[in-house]
Amino acid sequence: MLRDDTNKYLPLTESTYYIMLTLIEPLHGYAVMQKIEEISKGTVKVGPGTLYGAFTSLEEEGLIVKVKEENRRKSYVLTPKGKKALMNQIKRLEIMTQNGLSVIDMLWPKP
Amino acid sequence: MAENTIRKIKWFWAWQDEQEEAWLRSMSQKGWHLSSVGLPCIYRFRAGEPRDYVYRLDYQTFPKKDKQEYQQLFRDAGWEYIGEMSAWQYFRKEVKEEEPLEIFTDVESKIAKYKKILAFLWLFWIILIVVPARGITIDNPYPWWGAIQAIQVFALLIWLFFTYAIIRLMLRIRQLKRL
Repeated sequence: MLRDDTNKYLPLTESTYYIMLTLIEPLHGYAVMQKIEEISKGTVKVGPGTLYGAFTSLEEEGLIVKVKEENRRKSYVLTPKGKKALMNQIKRLEIMTQNGLSVIDMLWPKP
Repeated sequence: MAENTIRKIKWFWAWQDEQEEAWLRSMSQKGWHLSSVGLPCIYRFRAGEPRDYVYRLDYQTFPKKDKQEYQQLFRDAGWEYIGEMSAWQYFRKEVKEEEPLEIFTDVESKIAKYKKILAFLWLFWIILIVVPARGITIDNPYPWWGAIQAIQVFALLIWLFFTYAIIRLMLRIRQLKRL
Protein backbone atom coordinates (compact mmCIF):
# COMPACT_ATOMS: atom_id res chain seq x y z
CA MET A 1 0.00 0.00 0.00
CA LEU A 2 1.05 3.53 -0.74
CA ARG A 3 2.30 5.43 2.31
CA ASP A 4 0.14 8.43 3.06
CA ASP A 5 2.55 11.35 3.03
CA THR A 6 0.01 14.06 2.30
CA ASN A 7 -0.25 15.17 5.93
CA LYS A 8 2.74 17.45 5.45
CA TYR A 9 0.53 19.73 3.32
CA LEU A 10 -1.98 20.20 6.14
CA PRO A 11 -3.59 22.34 7.28
CA LEU A 12 -4.31 23.93 3.93
CA THR A 13 -4.99 27.64 3.87
CA GLU A 14 -8.62 28.59 3.30
CA SER A 15 -7.83 29.68 -0.27
CA THR A 16 -5.92 26.50 -1.12
CA TYR A 17 -8.69 24.38 0.40
CA TYR A 18 -11.33 26.02 -1.79
CA ILE A 19 -9.12 25.91 -4.88
CA MET A 20 -8.67 22.16 -4.41
CA LEU A 21 -12.39 21.64 -3.76
CA THR A 22 -13.28 23.24 -7.07
CA LEU A 23 -10.68 21.16 -8.94
CA ILE A 24 -12.66 17.97 -8.37
CA GLU A 25 -13.53 18.65 -12.03
CA PRO A 26 -11.22 20.27 -14.60
CA LEU A 27 -11.46 24.07 -14.45
CA HIS A 28 -9.38 27.02 -15.63
CA GLY A 29 -8.26 29.84 -13.37
CA TYR A 30 -11.07 32.31 -13.74
CA ALA A 31 -13.72 29.58 -13.43
CA VAL A 32 -12.06 28.55 -10.15
CA MET A 33 -12.31 32.12 -8.86
CA GLN A 34 -15.99 32.38 -9.76
CA LYS A 35 -16.90 28.99 -8.36
CA ILE A 36 -15.17 29.71 -5.04
CA GLU A 37 -17.11 32.93 -4.64
CA GLU A 38 -20.31 31.07 -5.39
CA ILE A 39 -19.88 28.00 -3.16
CA SER A 40 -18.40 29.98 -0.25
CA LYS A 41 -21.44 32.26 -0.43
CA GLY A 42 -19.15 35.23 -0.95
CA THR A 43 -17.09 34.59 2.20
CA VAL A 44 -13.97 33.71 0.24
CA LYS A 45 -12.61 35.61 -2.72
CA VAL A 46 -9.39 34.50 -4.34
CA GLY A 47 -7.41 37.09 -6.28
CA PRO A 48 -5.43 36.19 -9.41
CA GLY A 49 -2.05 36.63 -7.68
CA THR A 50 -2.99 34.22 -4.91
CA LEU A 51 -4.53 31.77 -7.39
CA TYR A 52 -1.57 31.75 -9.77
CA GLY A 53 0.80 31.13 -6.87
CA ALA A 54 -1.37 28.29 -5.59
CA PHE A 55 -1.58 26.68 -9.04
CA THR A 56 2.20 26.82 -9.37
CA SER A 57 2.94 25.23 -6.01
CA LEU A 58 0.11 22.66 -6.17
CA GLU A 59 1.37 21.57 -9.59
CA GLU A 60 4.97 21.39 -8.35
CA GLU A 61 3.86 19.19 -5.46
CA GLY A 62 1.89 16.94 -7.82
CA LEU A 63 -1.45 17.65 -6.13
CA ILE A 64 -3.01 19.00 -9.32
CA VAL A 65 -2.25 18.42 -12.97
CA LYS A 66 -2.81 20.35 -16.18
CA VAL A 67 -5.40 18.67 -18.38
CA LYS A 68 -5.92 21.03 -21.29
CA GLU A 69 -5.08 24.44 -22.65
CA GLU A 70 -7.25 26.61 -24.86
CA ASN A 71 -7.20 30.32 -25.57
CA ARG A 72 -4.27 30.77 -23.18
CA ARG A 73 -6.32 29.27 -20.36
CA LYS A 74 -5.00 26.15 -18.68
CA SER A 75 -7.35 23.77 -16.92
CA TYR A 76 -6.26 21.77 -13.91
CA VAL A 77 -7.70 18.85 -11.97
CA LEU A 78 -6.80 17.04 -8.74
CA THR A 79 -4.39 14.11 -8.93
CA PRO A 80 -4.91 11.00 -6.73
CA LYS A 81 -2.36 12.49 -4.33
CA GLY A 82 -4.28 15.76 -4.35
CA LYS A 83 -7.53 13.94 -3.62
CA LYS A 84 -5.88 12.19 -0.69
CA ALA A 85 -4.62 15.47 0.76
CA LEU A 86 -8.04 17.06 0.35
CA MET A 87 -9.73 14.06 1.99
CA ASN A 88 -7.45 14.35 5.02
CA GLN A 89 -8.15 18.07 5.23
CA ILE A 90 -11.91 17.47 5.15
CA LYS A 91 -11.58 14.96 8.02
CA ARG A 92 -9.62 17.53 10.04
CA LEU A 93 -12.25 20.17 9.38
CA GLU A 94 -15.00 17.76 10.41
CA ILE A 95 -13.31 17.19 13.78
CA MET A 96 -12.86 20.94 14.17
CA THR A 97 -16.53 21.58 13.42
CA GLN A 98 -17.73 18.85 15.80
CA ASN A 99 -15.59 20.30 18.58
CA GLY A 100 -16.96 23.74 17.84
CA LEU A 101 -20.55 22.57 17.86
CA SER A 102 -20.05 20.76 21.18
CA VAL A 103 -19.28 24.02 22.98
CA ILE A 104 -21.57 26.33 21.04
CA ASP A 105 -24.35 26.11 23.66
CA MET A 106 -21.95 27.08 26.41
CA LEU A 107 -20.75 30.22 24.65
CA TRP A 108 -23.90 32.17 25.47
CA PRO A 109 -25.40 30.78 28.69
CA LYS A 110 -29.20 30.81 28.70
CA PRO A 111 -30.68 33.58 30.85
CA MET B 1 -3.62 66.25 -30.81
CA ALA B 2 -0.22 66.25 -29.20
CA GLU B 3 0.34 63.36 -26.90
CA ASN B 4 1.61 64.42 -23.55
CA THR B 5 3.94 62.01 -21.82
CA ILE B 6 6.41 62.26 -18.97
CA ARG B 7 9.16 59.97 -17.88
CA LYS B 8 10.18 59.41 -14.30
CA ILE B 9 13.05 57.43 -12.89
CA LYS B 10 12.17 56.13 -9.46
CA TRP B 11 13.80 53.54 -7.26
CA PHE B 12 11.82 51.49 -4.78
CA TRP B 13 12.66 48.76 -2.30
CA ALA B 14 10.85 45.44 -2.51
CA TRP B 15 9.33 45.83 0.98
CA GLN B 16 7.85 49.18 -0.05
CA ASP B 17 5.84 47.85 -3.00
CA GLU B 18 2.56 48.91 -1.39
CA GLN B 19 3.75 52.51 -1.14
CA GLU B 20 4.75 52.28 -4.80
CA GLU B 21 1.24 51.11 -5.70
CA ALA B 22 -0.24 54.00 -3.72
CA TRP B 23 2.03 56.47 -5.48
CA LEU B 24 1.00 55.19 -8.93
CA ARG B 25 -2.65 55.53 -7.89
CA SER B 26 -2.09 59.14 -6.82
CA MET B 27 -0.43 59.87 -10.18
CA SER B 28 -3.55 58.56 -11.99
CA GLN B 29 -5.80 60.63 -9.75
CA LYS B 30 -3.84 63.64 -10.98
CA GLY B 31 -4.32 62.56 -14.60
CA TRP B 32 -0.98 60.85 -15.17
CA HIS B 33 -1.55 57.25 -16.15
CA LEU B 34 1.26 54.74 -16.22
CA SER B 35 1.74 53.59 -19.81
CA SER B 36 4.93 51.54 -19.64
CA VAL B 37 7.71 50.44 -17.33
CA GLY B 38 11.30 49.60 -18.15
CA LEU B 39 14.80 49.22 -16.82
CA PRO B 40 16.40 50.94 -14.98
CA CYS B 41 13.35 51.97 -12.93
CA ILE B 42 11.83 54.04 -15.74
CA TYR B 43 8.14 54.86 -15.64
CA ARG B 44 6.31 56.48 -18.53
CA PHE B 45 3.08 58.33 -17.86
CA ARG B 46 0.51 59.57 -20.34
CA ALA B 47 -1.68 62.58 -19.61
CA GLY B 48 -5.43 62.01 -19.54
CA GLU B 49 -8.56 62.59 -17.55
CA PRO B 50 -7.94 61.98 -13.84
CA ARG B 51 -9.19 58.50 -12.95
CA ASP B 52 -9.13 56.34 -9.89
CA TYR B 53 -7.00 53.39 -10.90
CA VAL B 54 -5.51 51.02 -8.36
CA TYR B 55 -2.14 49.56 -9.26
CA ARG B 56 -0.89 46.18 -8.09
CA LEU B 57 2.59 44.66 -8.31
CA ASP B 58 3.36 40.99 -8.50
CA TYR B 59 6.80 39.38 -8.68
CA GLN B 60 7.12 36.56 -11.21
CA THR B 61 9.71 35.01 -13.46
CA PHE B 62 8.64 32.49 -16.05
CA PRO B 63 9.02 31.25 -19.62
CA LYS B 64 7.15 33.20 -22.30
CA LYS B 65 4.45 30.57 -22.74
CA ASP B 66 3.48 30.64 -19.08
CA LYS B 67 3.45 34.41 -19.19
CA GLN B 68 0.53 34.45 -21.62
CA GLU B 69 -1.50 32.17 -19.38
CA TYR B 70 -0.60 34.32 -16.38
CA GLN B 71 -1.66 37.55 -18.09
CA GLN B 72 -4.87 35.94 -19.32
CA LEU B 73 -5.84 34.98 -15.77
CA PHE B 74 -5.41 38.56 -14.59
CA ARG B 75 -7.30 39.91 -17.62
CA ASP B 76 -10.18 37.55 -16.89
CA ALA B 77 -10.26 38.92 -13.35
CA GLY B 78 -10.52 42.46 -14.70
CA TRP B 79 -6.88 43.55 -14.47
CA GLU B 80 -5.08 45.46 -17.19
CA TYR B 81 -1.47 44.43 -17.71
CA ILE B 82 0.94 47.32 -18.08
CA GLY B 83 4.35 45.75 -18.21
CA GLU B 84 7.30 44.14 -16.52
CA MET B 85 10.39 45.53 -14.88
CA SER B 86 12.98 43.03 -13.63
CA ALA B 87 10.32 40.44 -12.71
CA TRP B 88 7.91 43.00 -11.23
CA GLN B 89 4.59 42.69 -13.01
CA TYR B 90 2.42 45.81 -13.13
CA PHE B 91 -1.37 45.65 -13.23
CA ARG B 92 -4.16 48.16 -12.81
CA LYS B 93 -7.90 48.28 -12.46
CA GLU B 94 -10.38 51.10 -12.19
CA VAL B 95 -11.97 51.44 -8.76
CA LYS B 96 -15.63 50.50 -8.87
CA GLU B 97 -18.06 49.26 -6.28
CA GLU B 98 -18.22 45.48 -5.89
CA GLU B 99 -14.91 45.08 -7.72
CA PRO B 100 -12.19 43.21 -5.79
CA LEU B 101 -9.14 45.43 -5.65
CA GLU B 102 -6.55 42.95 -4.45
CA ILE B 103 -4.54 40.42 -6.44
CA PHE B 104 -3.37 38.76 -3.23
CA THR B 105 -6.27 37.80 -1.01
CA ASP B 106 -4.44 36.21 1.90
CA VAL B 107 -1.34 36.83 3.99
CA GLU B 108 0.26 33.52 2.99
CA SER B 109 0.39 34.41 -0.69
CA LYS B 110 1.74 37.89 0.08
CA ILE B 111 4.51 36.27 2.11
CA ALA B 112 5.17 33.80 -0.73
CA LYS B 113 5.76 36.75 -3.07
CA TYR B 114 8.34 38.31 -0.74
CA LYS B 115 10.00 34.93 -0.22
CA LYS B 116 10.58 34.61 -3.96
CA ILE B 117 12.39 37.95 -3.95
CA LEU B 118 14.31 36.89 -0.85
CA ALA B 119 15.53 33.75 -2.63
CA PHE B 120 17.03 35.92 -5.40
CA LEU B 121 18.68 38.22 -2.89
CA TRP B 122 20.24 35.28 -1.06
CA LEU B 123 21.58 33.90 -4.34
CA PHE B 124 23.37 37.18 -5.18
CA TRP B 125 24.48 37.54 -1.58
CA ILE B 126 26.26 34.16 -1.75
CA ILE B 127 27.76 34.85 -5.19
CA LEU B 128 29.13 38.14 -3.86
CA ILE B 129 30.95 36.31 -1.09
CA VAL B 130 32.28 33.41 -3.12
CA VAL B 131 33.46 35.20 -6.29
CA PRO B 132 35.46 38.14 -4.81
CA ALA B 133 36.95 35.88 -2.13
CA ARG B 134 38.69 33.87 -4.84
CA GLY B 135 40.67 37.00 -5.79
CA ILE B 136 42.35 37.07 -2.37
CA THR B 137 44.40 33.97 -3.20
CA ILE B 138 46.16 35.82 -6.03
CA ASP B 139 49.68 36.97 -5.05
CA ASN B 140 50.59 40.64 -4.66
CA PRO B 141 52.98 41.06 -7.68
CA TYR B 142 50.12 40.10 -10.00
CA PRO B 143 49.94 42.89 -12.64
CA TRP B 144 46.26 43.78 -12.05
CA TRP B 145 46.46 43.67 -8.27
CA GLY B 146 45.11 47.21 -7.86
CA ALA B 147 42.19 46.55 -10.18
CA ILE B 148 41.34 43.35 -8.32
CA GLN B 149 41.34 45.23 -5.03
CA ALA B 150 39.05 47.89 -6.44
CA ILE B 151 36.64 45.23 -7.64
CA GLN B 152 36.72 43.62 -4.20
CA VAL B 153 35.84 46.89 -2.50
CA PHE B 154 33.05 47.43 -4.99
CA ALA B 155 31.76 43.88 -4.40
CA LEU B 156 31.84 44.50 -0.66
CA LEU B 157 29.67 47.60 -1.05
CA ILE B 158 27.13 45.72 -3.15
CA TRP B 159 27.22 42.88 -0.65
CA LEU B 160 26.37 45.31 2.17
CA PHE B 161 23.51 46.64 0.04
CA PHE B 162 22.15 43.11 -0.39
CA THR B 163 22.58 42.37 3.31
CA TYR B 164 20.50 45.44 4.13
CA ALA B 165 17.81 44.44 1.61
CA ILE B 166 17.63 40.89 3.00
CA ILE B 167 17.21 42.12 6.58
CA ARG B 168 14.50 44.62 5.65
CA LEU B 169 12.60 42.08 3.57
CA MET B 170 12.75 39.51 6.39
CA LEU B 171 11.36 42.12 8.78
CA ARG B 172 8.52 42.81 6.34
CA ILE B 173 7.70 39.09 6.22
CA ARG B 174 7.73 38.92 10.03
CA GLN B 175 5.41 41.90 10.19
CA LEU B 176 2.96 40.15 7.84
CA LYS B 177 3.12 36.93 9.88
CA ARG B 178 2.01 38.80 12.97
CA LEU B 179 -1.22 39.91 11.29
